[in-house]
Amino acid sequence: MTTSRVAIAAVLMSLCVTPVSRAKVYVHWTQRAIPAVKTLGADDLVLDWNDDAKTIVEAATKRGYHVYFETTLEQAVSTLDSAARVAAVGIIVKAETSKAAEAEAVAQKLKVAHPELKILVLNSGGRQPDMRGWLVFNKNGILQVSSPTSQPWLDSNFALVHYEQAIQKTQPPLYTFAWDLSDPLVKEQGPHPEDYALAIAEAGAFHADLVLEIYGKQQKGLAEGDKNVLADWELVKRTLAFYQRNDTTGEPTARVAVLTGDYDSSYETLNLMARHNIPYRVLHSSEVTAQDLAAFDVVIAFAELSKELSEGLSPFANSGGVAVLVNLKGPYPWESSANAKTSGPSVTYTIGKGRIIALAEPVADPETFVQDVRRLMVKDRIPVSLWNSLTTLVVAYPQKQSGDVIVELVNYAQESLQVQVQVKGKFTSVKYATPELSNWETLKPSFVDGFTEFVVPDVVIGGRVHLAAAETPAR
Amino acid sequence: MRWSSWALSAASALLFPSFFPLSEPPPSETSLVHKTKYAMGTVYEIAAYDDSPAHASLAMDRAFAEIVRLDQVMSNYKPESDLSRLNRCAHFHAEQVPQDLYRIIEESLRYSKISGGKFDITVAPLVDLWKAAIRGDRVPTQQQLDQVRVCVGFKKVELIPPDRVEFHSPCMRIDLGSIGKGYAVDRAAEVLRANGIRNAFVDAGQSTLYGMGSPPGQDAWEVHLRDPSSRIDPVVRLHENSVSTSEQTPASLLGNATAGHIIDPDNGKPLETRYALSIVAKTAIASDALSTTLLLVGPDKGRPIVRAVADAAAIWVSAEGQTETVSTGPEIRIHAKEGALHQPRIHQANFFARESR
Repeated sequence: MTTSRVAIAAVLMSLCVTPVSRAKVYVHWTQRAIPAVKTLGADDLVLDWNDDAKTIVEAATKRGYHVYFETTLEQAVSTLDSAARVAAVGIIVKAETSKAAEAEAVAQKLKVAHPELKILVLNSGGRQPDMRGWLVFNKNGILQVSSPTSQPWLDSNFALVHYEQAIQKTQPPLYTFAWDLSDPLVKEQGPHPEDYALAIAEAGAFHADLVLEIYGKQQKGLAEGDKNVLADWELVKRTLAFYQRNDTTGEPTARVAVLTGDYDSSYETLNLMARHNIPYRVLHSSEVTAQDLAAFDVVIAFAELSKELSEGLSPFANSGGVAVLVNLKGPYPWESSANAKTSGPSVTYTIGKGRIIALAEPVADPETFVQDVRRLMVKDRIPVSLWNSLTTLVVAYPQKQSGDVIVELVNYAQESLQVQVQVKGKFTSVKYATPELSNWETLKPSFVDGFTEFVVPDVVIGGRVHLAAAETPAR
Repeated sequence: MRWSSWALSAASALLFPSFFPLSEPPPSETSLVHKTKYAMGTVYEIAAYDDSPAHASLAMDRAFAEIVRLDQVMSNYKPESDLSRLNRCAHFHAEQVPQDLYRIIEESLRYSKISGGKFDITVAPLVDLWKAAIRGDRVPTQQQLDQVRVCVGFKKVELIPPDRVEFHSPCMRIDLGSIGKGYAVDRAAEVLRANGIRNAFVDAGQSTLYGMGSPPGQDAWEVHLRDPSSRIDPVVRLHENSVSTSEQTPASLLGNATAGHIIDPDNGKPLETRYALSIVAKTAIASDALSTTLLLVGPDKGRPIVRAVADAAAIWVSAEGQTETVSTGPEIRIHAKEGALHQPRIHQANFFARESR
């Protein structure tokens, strides 16, 4: 076989194989001194441009790092030229969620100017992952109680990642967040290792890339070999290594589609759907077609429907789907149906085996709305469910080639938790791994009504379960 | 376990003035430490003011450890718990139980008597039967109901001092879900006190709250209570007492046939009520035990129950903004906003202007 044929064959093979969705952690570094890659546990470094940049890039590159420069939309062009001069790998353009489309357009233009450099768009709208309480304190010490919910409130970046997946076509979702430093002890010493580990686990489980801010004092400790900092950092390194070892492919299973064009208006609902482990995918309303909906059981529309899409909703419902239109003004074809039933703020149109539900107002109570959505789902088709683990988010990745399923778990309580899991399908081999375990552990599954059930005995921050139809070496 | 703390300075109190008169000048530098802990299927929170954040943090860790210990005693979910063992064995003989379990069952039976049996820790089998029916299984037959009723009834639980419990029913089992969190909150407060904390706030999943002491410069912890109308903004100021709130699951926004999580054990139907109920009591175990009961019975039958409890107050707030209250001491202040349909009938009314949530 000639070299050119080999090259073509390699390209064709790469097109056939689903890409591995390994999440990357880029470490944002602000100090002059840089530790060894082995000490840090990551080899992608993000720097701010400054007068010392050339020297730092050289030193970092020698140590084995891939160096990027973080910049703003406004300074992207000049930073890119500078990055090219100092032989950085690329630049990372930081933008708020509302400017994501603009940043994407700028990035595409810059790629044409400097094809040798990587240009990534960073969403700066992430949140520190956290299990919060409900109490709210005013600064004068008076306590208030926020809106009641039946589950612990989790601040996660799941909604953001889903939204990014819908709008970013050329790169995996990439986000960052600022640490909450209101605590004087955290402000003095930096976030806890468990907090870093949770951030890494979250991004890893969602197959998203993360720019991780490391507190200045901890950067210094790592670079100077401070024993305490190095000891603390072991947990972070172990977590980094665990998520780098992942070779899961493909996208998570989703039974609910959310049509939206505006992150802010649907954020609260998306965030709560994640918290309730409702498997959903965000679709950009301007790009979706009626055919795209066939893969889902429930469609929630926050954005106006195109003519083609509104005509496609009736066949979707006719075949058993449920569509929920949130505060959308018609007229729509189904509104003339005699099979309409009004209940509170919503009107339900029965169409064939399914329904179209028009909610006449914005979602005033997202928690109730999300519980409603869960009830609309087809029970037999829910890909993964958890019990007695309200602080844990779950994502299931079906592996197309093998038929296996990889389940990622993230526990925001950051304490050992026994998690009961139910996965659609029959899998005789169930193995799990966590950053704390050196090997895969075998779990005993049971089979109930087309589902595989098992208990993961100990999830502290993150965990991965590999389900296979037959006994195979776990990945 | 996550935690945070921050300094509350005199300057900040001046920058954000309270609507309440300051009873004493705030200390110059007192830290608020706030921690959360997932236990008993919910999130517990403790907030404490102390000169030393490290001291407060340690005391809170001990209080959380007590809650975790109690989970091992009272859990229905854990087969190795003391309650699970009691439920397995007490049909056969008087079972020896830990002091905590004995005490909480004793308290439960007291509230069963006060409420005329509406509060009953043995009612779970009946509720489960009805919930199964609501989920789509068949409506229970009279025979099934009769069979289950044999398993239910607080009078069939016998306490044999000092530490034994016996069931006089072959199928009885106890569920402490309606009182256990309150007991855990009280115990957490005791642990905090024993560790030198004087000003703290303990919350179990936002349904049961306890205020110890007060924040700096205040004479109590101000808590805004559940208001389904968003018009009333009831406020209670806690100082060495507790408040619990109970409310039926909100109606579906999308026309789903939702049952609601609170079932009336008398008829097996999901409770239909316009109200959210909050009850203030000296202890969290009392407020927790009485909250669901008072929601079930409503204001007319609920008032006599509250009157039988010292230092208690209750408020029922409807979705339309109507309120019904009763008190044997504590004051629940309300601020009727524009649009409220009825002036509330309250005990010890005291209106004042303040910003709403």
